[in-house]
Amino acid sequence: MSADIEFAARPKQRVPLFVLSPRRILADMLSSGWVESAIPFLAFVCVVIGVVATTQDYFGAANVRNLAQYAADGGLIVLAVLIVVAVGGIDLSVGSNFAMSAFVSLYCFHILGLPVPAVLVASLACGALVGAVNGILAGLIGCGALLTTLGTMITIRGIFTLASQASIVDISTSARIDDLWDWVGFEKFLTMPIGFWVLLAVAALVFVMFRQSRYGWHVLAVGGNRKAARHGGIRVKLTIFLAYLLAGLIVGLAGFLFAARQNSISADTGIGMEFFALTALVVGLGGFVPGRGAVVPVLVGFATIYILNNAMINSGFRGDFVQFTMGGIIILILAIDVKFRKNRHRLLASTYLDPVSVDLGAVKGMTGLMPGELPPRLAQAEILAAGRLDGPEDVILDDEGNLYCGNRDGRLLRLSAPDYTEITVVAKIGGRPLGLAFDAEGRIVTCVAGMGLLRVGMDGGVELLTDQTERSLLSVQDDTTIRMADDLDIAPDGVIYFTDATKRYDIDNWGLDLLEGRPNGRLLSYDPRTRRTRTVCDHLVFPNGVCVTHDGGYLLVASTWGCSILIFDLADLAAGPRIFADGLPGYPDNINRASDGGYWVALAGMRNPIMDQAMRYPKLRQRMTRRVPPNNWLFGNLNIGGVLKLDAAGVVTDALWDAPDGPLYMITSMREHEGSLFLGGVTNDKIGRITVAGADTDWTGPKSYQGRG
Amino acid sequence: MFFRSRRQELPGMTLEGVLGPNTRLDDAAGRAVPLPRALVVLEDGRLLFSSGNDVLALAAWDGEPEAWARFDVPVTALGARGDLVAVGLADGGLAACDRTGRRLVGWATPTGLGSISDCMVLSDDEVALVDSGYRADETLLSLAAWADAGRGMVVAVGRSGSRRELASGLNCPMGIAPDGKGSVIVSLLEHASVVELSGTVRQSGFPGYLGRIRATGSGYLICCLSRRDPLIEFLKTEKAFVAEMKARISPDHWLSPRARPEFSHDFPIELGATRLFGEVKPWAPSFSYGLVIETDHQLVPTGSAHSRANGTRHAIADAVSWNGATVAVSMASGELLRFPGSEA
Repeated sequence: MSADIEFAARPKQRVPLFVLSPRRILADMLSSGWVESAIPFLAFVCVVIGVVATTQDYFGAANVRNLAQYAADGGLIVLAVLIVVAVGGIDLSVGSNFAMSAFVSLYCFHILGLPVPAVLVASLACGALVGAVNGILAGLIGCGALLTTLGTMITIRGIFTLASQASIVDISTSARIDDLWDWVGFEKFLTMPIGFWVLLAVAALVFVMFRQSRYGWHVLAVGGNRKAARHGGIRVKLTIFLAYLLAGLIVGLAGFLFAARQNSISADTGIGMEFFALTALVVGLGGFVPGRGAVVPVLVGFATIYILNNAMINSGFRGDFVQFTMGGIIILILAIDVKFRKNRHRLLASTYLDPVSVDLGAVKGMTGLMPGELPPRLAQAEILAAGRLDGPEDVILDDEGNLYCGNRDGRLLRLSAPDYTEITVVAKIGGRPLGLAFDAEGRIVTCVAGMGLLRVGMDGGVELLTDQTERSLLSVQDDTTIRMADDLDIAPDGVIYFTDATKRYDIDNWGLDLLEGRPNGRLLSYDPRTRRTRTVCDHLVFPNGVCVTHDGGYLLVASTWGCSILIFDLADLAAGPRIFADGLPGYPDNINRASDGGYWVALAGMRNPIMDQAMRYPKLRQRMTRRVPPNNWLFGNLNIGGVLKLDAAGVVTDALWDAPDGPLYMITSMREHEGSLFLGGVTNDKIGRITVAGADTDWTGPKSYQGRG
Repeated sequence: MFFRSRRQELPGMTLEGVLGPNTRLDDAAGRAVPLPRALVVLEDGRLLFSSGNDVLALAAWDGEPEAWARFDVPVTALGARGDLVAVGLADGGLAACDRTGRRLVGWATPTGLGSISDCMVLSDDEVALVDSGYRADETLLSLAAWADAGRGMVVAVGRSGSRRELASGLNCPMGIAPDGKGSVIVSLLEHASVVELSGTVRQSGFPGYLGRIRATGSGYLICCLSRRDPLIEFLKTEKAFVAEMKARISPDHWLSPRARPEFSHDFPIELGATRLFGEVKPWAPSFSYGLVIETDHQLVPTGSAHSRANGTRHAIADAVSWNGATVAVSMASGELLRFPGSEA
C-alpha cells in the first residue's frame, strides 16, 4: 500500500523551528517561577548602576574583596533568618546570639587558649544552644515566635553584656597569635576572603536543602500551611525546633567568623543586626513570606541594601541621612514589588493568549459528501450504554469484541461483548484517559491529559511510562512536561508514537488553543525498550489522532485546528511531515484503520464560514477574549461532527453524519470491528454502533496490528 | 492609560432579578398555528391572530378559531380600536377592516413603505404604521444586527389618503404603543430600547432585541425576538470583520440573532453553547431565545417569561393581555402561547 501513499510526491507541511512572538516571550516570562524575584533583582541592578555612576572605582578588586570580607557574617545571619521565616517563625535574637557567639569564640581563644577547631565548635554550640532554647519555646512548647525570640534577644544581650564587661580587658590584652585563626580572619583563598567562601558554601547548602532534601521540603510545607503539613504526616513541632536550631548554628558560625576577623567585641556588637537581616529578607522576598525558601533572592536583597548602605556611608553622608534615605528606597522597592506581584497574574492573563492569523483555505474534496447532501446515516446507529458513560474520548475493542473506553472521572471501563450492557472498571487512573492502544502483550497504553503516557494491565495495574520529554531549545517556558497527551499508536517495532496536543493549555481550556491558532503541539515517541522519550516533531497545530498506516511504514497525525492530516515516514522521521489530506470540512480528531485499507477520521466539530474568517483576524480574537465573557466567545462548531472515510491515498470517499440534533453529534473516535463501527465522543455519554456496508466482517483492529488481518 | 478614551455606556439589564430565567413560556399552553405573526384583541373580546395570509378570530382559548379575513400577502401586523381593525401587510400595504373582517372603503394603500412591522389605530380616521426598513422576506434579524443607518419610519395614514410622517431614520422600529399621555412610543429591535417619536430614549438596555410593545392595564408587554448577546454586541465594534462577513457570506450564515434554535454544521456557535451529553444546557448562550418582558407604566421591568436556550418557543413576535392571561406568538415554534400574567 505504500505505493498508494507516494510519500515523496506529497506537499511538505511547513513546521516552524521556533515560535517567535514578543507577546509569547513576555507571557512565558511572566509565568515562570523566577519572575517572582524580578523586582528585587532589578532593584539590585539599579543600585549597582547607581553606585557605579556616582562612585569611582567602587567595584574595583580591592573594594570588592573588602566588601566580601565584611559581608560574610551579615549574609549568614540573613540565611539563618530565612530558614526561620520559611518555617513560619521569626527570630529577633539573631543579633544577641551573634554577639554571644563572637564573645564565646574570643573567650575560648584568648582566655581558655583552646585550639581553633575547638573554638569553632564552642561558637557553634553557643549559637545552637540559643537556637535550641528558641526552638523549644517557640516550636515544641508553642509559645509565640515573636515573644520567645524577643525574650531571648533581651536575655542573651544581658548575659553578653555581663560576660563581655567581665572579660573584655583580658581579651583585648591577650597576645595569643595563631596561624589558623588569622587565616580564617584575614587570608584569601582564590583571591577572595575565607568568610566569603564560607557564606557561599552555606548558601549552597541551604539552597540544596530547600530544593532537594526531605527536611527542606518539610520546612516549606510547615511554613506554607502548618495544618496541612500536620495532616500530611509531617512532624510539625520537630521541624520548627530543628529550623531554630539550624538558624542558631549558622549564627554561631557567623559569630566565629566575626571574632576571627575583629579579634574584639564591644557593647554594641550585633545591635540592630536582626532588623538589618529582616530588611534584607523582606526586600529579597518582596514581603514577609513563610513557606518560601528563596536563597538567591534573599542574598540579592541583602546585597542590595548592604551595597547601598556601604556606598552611602563611604560617600560621607551623615548616618541619620543614610538611614532616612535607605528607608525611603526600601519602601519604594517594596511598593513596586507588591504592585507587580498583585498585577502579575492580571498581566499574564491578558497577554497569555497570543493569536495568529490562520488561513485554512477552502474545503476540498467534499462535493456531494457534506451534511445535508447525504442522508444522516448515523441516525440509524444503535446507542450503547446511554447515560452510563462520561466522555468516552477514544474507544477500542479487543479480539473478543469487548469495548474499552476512558471516562472523565479517570476510570478505564470495559463494556463486555456482545451486548455491551455490562460495564466493569478496568483501572482507576486518576487522570482523564484520552487515546487508547493495545500493545503486543494485550495491555492498554493510554494518553492521559495532564499525566502523560500510561500503561494499564488487564489486572488493573497502572504504570506511568513517561510524563516528560526533552526541553525544546528555544523556549522561555520549561516545556519538558507533557501537558496534554492526546492520542497514540504503536509501530511494528514497539515504539509508541503519541501527541502532546498543546504545550500551553490544559484540558480545561484547550479551546483557547483554537483561538490562538499557533503550532503549540508536538509529536513524541516513547521506546519501551530504552524507556526513552523523544520529541519527534515540535510545533504542530494541535496534533491529535495518531495512526500507523496499514503497511506499518508511515504515521498519520491529525492536525485538529489545521483541518488536515499529516503523514510521517517512520523510516525517516527527520524528514518532517507531509500532507496526507487537507481542506477537511471539520476538525479531525482520532484516526483509525478501516478494513478496506483506508482510514476512518473522526470530526469533533465542523468548520463554518464565520469561524474560518475569524481565524484570519487575530487581533479580533485577542480583543474578544478580553471583552467578551468566555461563555460567549466565538468558537468552532463542536455541536455537529461526523466520520470521514479516507482511502489509502488520503482521498475522502465517504462521510457519515447524524441528524443535526441527533445523539451522535460530536465524534472524537471510531473503531471498526467485525463489520461494525463504534463511535465515541468526548462530550457525550453514550457510544454509537453502526454497521458498515461492505466491510470485512472478519476484520478487527488487533488482528490488523498483529499482521493477522 | 490615565484617561479612558472609550465611551462607556450604561450597563444593560441582565437576565437577573425580575428578568431572571424561568420556564413560563416553555410551560405555557400552546396552540399550533402556521406562520403566526401578530395578535390583537377586539373590543368584543375576541382575539384576532394572523397565520400567513389569513387572519383568524378566537372567542375563547379552548374554542375553534374561525376565519376572519384572507389577504393576498402575509399579514405582519394587527391593530384595532373601536370598529376599525388595521391589518399591516408584508408588502407595505394596509388593509382597513371592520370588526367582522370586511374591507372598509375609502382607505388607500400607502406608498413607499417596505413592510409593516406594527400598526396602531390612532383615531377612526387615522392609522399609524411602523416600517422597520426591511422587507418582510429578508432575514431581518441577520441584517438589522449589522445595519449602521436607521431606515425605519413611522407614518400616519388617513382615511382620506392623507399621509403624515411621524418619525423617520429610526433604527429598525418594530412596535408602537400609546404612552398614556396622548403620544406614542416605539420599540427598537437592535438598540434594545423604547423611544419617543422624536427619538428621545424612554428606556434602554433591555436584555433582548425588541419586537412589539403592547400596552396592558398595568404597563406594557415587550416582546423580544432574541436576547442580546455579548459576542454580537462586541462584533458591532469590529467594522472590518463585519464588512467582510457581509461581503462574502450569505446572511443565513452570519453571526447574528436567530429566530430558531436550530443546529447546522455551518452555523457559528459560542464556546458555552457546546452540547454536553447531547443536551443543550438551558443556561448556554444562544442566538435565539424566547422572552416577554412585563413592565410598569414607566417601562421598568416587573416580570418576565422565558423560553431558555434548551427551549423551542423562541422569537416572540407579539403578546397581548387577554381574559386575564397573556397570549404570545412564538415564531420559532409556530404557536400561540397562553400563560398567566404575573399580576394574575
